[in-house]
Amino acid sequence: MKGRLKNLLNYSVNCILRYKVRTIVILVCLSVAATIFSSVAFMKDGLARDGQLSLKYAPDLTVQGIVAGRQAFIETSNIGIIRGIGGVNDVVPRIWGYGNVGNNLLVILGIDLRVTTINPAEPYPLESGVFLNPQRNNTVVIGKAVADLLDARVGSILTILSESNQARQYDVIGVFNSESSIYNADMILMNINDARSFFKVPDDKVTDLSVHVTPTDPGNYVPLLDYVAREISGRPNVRVLTKDVLLKAQETTYGARSGFFSVVWYIILIAVALIAFNQTVVVGHESKFEVGLLKALGFSTSDIIKVRLMESAILGILAGSIGLTFGIVYDVVLNAPVLRDFMLGWAVLYPTFTVPVYISVQTVLLAYAITIVPILFATVIPSWLNATVDPDIAMRGARA
Amino acid sequence: MIECSNLTKIYNLGKKHQVEAVTDANVVAKNGAITVFVGPSGCGKTTLMSMLGQLLTPTRGKILVDGEDITAYSDGWKAVFRRENVGFVFQHINLMPNLNAVENVMIPLLAHDVEPADFKEKALNLLDNLGLAERSYFAVEQLSGGQQQRVAVARALITEPNIVVADEPLTFVDEASARTITDFFGKLREQGKTVLISTHVSNLAKLADKTYIMKDGKILGNS
Repeated sequence: MKGRLKNLLNYSVNCILRYKVRTIVILVCLSVAATIFSSVAFMKDGLARDGQLSLKYAPDLTVQGIVAGRQAFIETSNIGIIRGIGGVNDVVPRIWGYGNVGNNLLVILGIDLRVTTINPAEPYPLESGVFLNPQRNNTVVIGKAVADLLDARVGSILTILSESNQARQYDVIGVFNSESSIYNADMILMNINDARSFFKVPDDKVTDLSVHVTPTDPGNYVPLLDYVAREISGRPNVRVLTKDVLLKAQETTYGARSGFFSVVWYIILIAVALIAFNQTVVVGHESKFEVGLLKALGFSTSDIIKVRLMESAILGILAGSIGLTFGIVYDVVLNAPVLRDFMLGWAVLYPTFTVPVYISVQTVLLAYAITIVPILFATVIPSWLNATVDPDIAMRGARA
Repeated sequence: MIECSNLTKIYNLGKKHQVEAVTDANVVAKNGAITVFVGPSGCGKTTLMSMLGQLLTPTRGKILVDGEDITAYSDGWKAVFRRENVGFVFQHINLMPNLNAVENVMIPLLAHDVEPADFKEKALNLLDNLGLAERSYFAVEQLSGGQQQRVAVARALITEPNIVVADEPLTFVDEASARTITDFFGKLREQGKTVLISTHVSNLAKLADKTYIMKDGKILGNS
């Protein structure tokens, strides 16, 4: 039986080589579909994974001020009150916004290390240098993307232009590692007083508060978080963001953007299926005759279906592999031009940002399914229909 | 030996354009004999040959091969029967395009549990015996109609079938090729094979051990 199967496989390969135009059209169409799908999916998965990684370092709750339904500064008087809620371990006031370094608009975050009890090295892991010291003013720790963008390292001087067109200089004393690139890649971290001075924020206000919760029993984390969030939400002009809300917002953003590409991809897939079907119809006459002839020469219906299955599988796997390779090259080597700008919306901010790419088994299998299933439908079903009639009828039908 | 009784084929049965192509055909074709079916175009020869070769399911009637009723064989068993027992030569030649002559001859081997490469020498010998030694590696499109039909004859014999069914094998064939093919059928008879030929060519009819005359789907008589 092995010998027969090998013979049928050889015949399938021979068919692929014989119907050159059909083979090329199908390979090109399916490869394009697989490339588009895999490049978007790898990047979307990478962003989702990065988002989840960044949550590892995010505070349990982020508390913002709210006025007339819009985000506003929050009073520092809230710090003591929130700290007094049972289960709250720490409250870190933060001031953040955007500043220009040359032509680049970057995120500036100021944190108050004097009032926090948490280990600063844990939420903000460093690649080089040291972390901020509340006693040292005009110092910053920068993200990996910022370091690459500005060609800055520990010891460099950073000149940042504020909204009031005042240029301020800061010493770079540390660089974040890139484990969670999306979280701190474009970040410039400084002491809160430097940020307050840079953004001209009143002394009794901050941008938001990072709230860290520690339950005595780890199993009570979620109920405790709900309790603390409820307690804080009860205060006037305040809103509370949980990790889940932040992650959902991120996923919604990237999901919607990848969704746009999904729509484009569906259109392409339909076009591919139509082209593949059309090619099958074009060679249908030949194919029908071939099925009849093969049956006359001793091939059974199952032999014919095996031949077409192998032919489709070879074409689908080949197209899927080509598409996946192009998708990986596009994302990893070329850094996803056009798609990166669309998905991240950071083209101006992040000319050197390396897109996070995550190649999951699920996505790879899906890409292969996308290339194999349509061609299976387009070739195996007509062949099966032809193969189930008498060989004489099939050959006469093809000649008619 | 092949025997058939009351063999009938009705196309589009029960539909508006129903056609009764063969009606109540009774045939006996002995081993080591050439049985020829003669009649005008459209008289049902091809349909009868297809039924005898298990390419077409009869509407009614029986076909017995060496006493075994094969009419009710399943599609899968019919395929096995054709693979093991029957070699076909078609009126329209029906070679596979984009393959050369020897590759076409070897196609039936793909359905067998063998290594086709082991049979290449045999395929080349068959082509040689049919006067095509120098054309063995020509693409079929480069061969004349007569040469193509000789390739088809070689293809029908590569698996050494007991039964050879040839439907109007000389229709698109030049005189030289016709002579070669006719002689070849004579040799098959000497080898003890059951040869069924449909034709309107007198040369082939002369070869016949038994001849059936057909008209309007019916066998009018035999000699």
